[in-house]
Amino acid sequence: MEFKIKDRGFAAFLLACALAVLLFSYFIFGITGVRIVLGIIFVSLPFYFMLNNFDLEHGEKFVFSLVLGITIFPSLVYALGFILSFRISIVVVFIFLLIAAFIMSKFKKK
Amino acid sequence: MKLNKNYLQTFIFVLVYLFAIYFWSQPLREIKIPYGEYDAMSHFEVADYIAYNDRSFLKLPDYIDTRYGNDNDFKPHTLWYPPTFHSSLAVMEVVGGGRAVPVYLMNTILATFVMITVYFAINSLFGFLPAILSSILLIFSPRDFLPYLWGQWPERFGYAFIPLVMYCFYMYFISYKKENSKPRYIYLAALFLAIQLLVHPLSFFHSVLGIAVLYVFLAVKQKKLALNWKHIAVSALIFLILFMAFPYQTFNIFSQFGRGAPSEKSSQFNFSRIFQWSLNPADYAGSVPESYFSFRDMHGLWTLPFLLIGIFILVWRREERDLFLLAWLIALYFVLHRDLIGKANFLHRSLSASAHIFAPLTAVGAVYLASLVKLPNNLNTYLKYAIAAVFVYFVVTVNLGAAATILNKGTYNPNPIDGKLTYDFLKTLTQQQFDAAQWILDNVPVGYNISVLGIPHEPNFLPATAYKMRWSMAVSQHVSRFYYLIDNRDTFTKVNYVMLDYTMVGPTGDEKLFNDMQSFEKNLTWHEIAYDKNNIRIYKPNGI
Repeated sequence: MEFKIKDRGFAAFLLACALAVLLFSYFIFGITGVRIVLGIIFVSLPFYFMLNNFDLEHGEKFVFSLVLGITIFPSLVYALGFILSFRISIVVVFIFLLIAAFIMSKFKKK
Repeated sequence: MKLNKNYLQTFIFVLVYLFAIYFWSQPLREIKIPYGEYDAMSHFEVADYIAYNDRSFLKLPDYIDTRYGNDNDFKPHTLWYPPTFHSSLAVMEVVGGGRAVPVYLMNTILATFVMITVYFAINSLFGFLPAILSSILLIFSPRDFLPYLWGQWPERFGYAFIPLVMYCFYMYFISYKKENSKPRYIYLAALFLAIQLLVHPLSFFHSVLGIAVLYVFLAVKQKKLALNWKHIAVSALIFLILFMAFPYQTFNIFSQFGRGAPSEKSSQFNFSRIFQWSLNPADYAGSVPESYFSFRDMHGLWTLPFLLIGIFILVWRREERDLFLLAWLIALYFVLHRDLIGKANFLHRSLSASAHIFAPLTAVGAVYLASLVKLPNNLNTYLKYAIAAVFVYFVVTVNLGAAATILNKGTYNPNPIDGKLTYDFLKTLTQQQFDAAQWILDNVPVGYNISVLGIPHEPNFLPATAYKMRWSMAVSQHVSRFYYLIDNRDTFTKVNYVMLDYTMVGPTGDEKLFNDMQSFEKNLTWHEIAYDKNNIRIYKPNGI
């Protein structure tokens, strides 16, 4: 799994965006807002790593991983929620997807 | 360090989008209590039940089943939608650590997600200026925020997939070569189409039509057929895997597809409908406000010239990216005229997708207007930005003002506004009522119902207070009902919890109800007090 920020400009951009969104969320919705933003990043991250293996534009990877994060991730949690606690399922699905992204990147390299 | 133009543009979009969240979340920020129409209750209930009880469910709990038990024709008494949308809210309720705010904030993000996908698609194909102008216009689209307030939550999110699915399909088609083709975009299109179906079927059919029209347009334009059986087979497999993930719900779509809507006109072929864009408000009187069918009220009349110029430019130019927008527009026309083939159910809901394509067309019209005239030097560029500035001026002075009269801090607010109670006092739970419902959830065993006295139930109040009762049910996760003082006390109340809500008796000035409640309370011999706070008392049956 490769996620290197090669470009300082890109890193500054990510930081500025994250800061703007987190500050906005905190001042408007309090700590709940911050947790929701971090939650969305959390559910989208594995999909970003997966899509990072494909020849897609930055914007495409961001938007697609966001969409997959807020739809596929919770659907998997719901399915697992029949046999495990819903909260535990969130963690398990996250780990499972990270592993899937890792395997995908290894497979892609080969 | 050189400032990258793309990053700066994206950052500007992020700020615009944050303003959209700020504007759309006004009711939530003001009351922090679940609110909305009946549909909103159902979506809150499903998500909240999963998160609060820390488990998924197949069979509907009683308090949801009483209303939605038969909404799934294929498998009654189970979820009537695939769980994708609701489990997304549930995950955020867990992560957010509360009940109303995380669910409503996440829903606001999902309902406004169409701004992200429209920006993304238009920016990729037409550049930053049309994209950002589209997003700014969409913030104040009543056809978007009204259904969001009414509670058509999954549908709002579902529409965000149309530009995404069409974009992926477009990218596949224009890069298609018989040899060495890159199929990733068609696989993504299939994936997003399947997810869209899991979110809401209505917008799914809209995307399917969009792809079909786009395919025909691009095939004619490029004189080629993008047809690779391997790609189609893999795409179909991706779609089927997701479709079969929640069969009880996805098969319900077939059951519902065959079901008509008797209240809506569908059987008679009306030739004049072909030339009408919108629908007849009279057909929806009582359920949808007349203004919802008005272009002036929903988009602003000032957008019409730009919209028509936008369509004219695209039809005249007919580049591939122009066909993308035209196909989207024509797909909307088809969806809006499905009553001509007898499918009129939820027709007005498809109208709510109009701003998503009108906004880009209007923005394209405004931005490209300058290119219609030939001016020396850089004057065309200056003119373009001047028109864009006029565009923003009209959005702020016309659309923002109109939107703010509907969506504001007073929307669904049960508290006094400028010292006066509004109709929403009767509909939305107050903080005291929310606290009581929360106490019921935490303390009343599952299986016990709640009889409520004090929330006005007379015919003149009932259309509003029935909402309050249902919200109480949603928050308490227990079946609650009005106690009419005429029920047989011995056989009914002694097996139920009884809630006496004195908070509404004063403001409504119902002295008789107050006296009846006091007398009723004195004679509650089968019960003992369990909760007494903020003028709300809850009695539990003896021995529990």
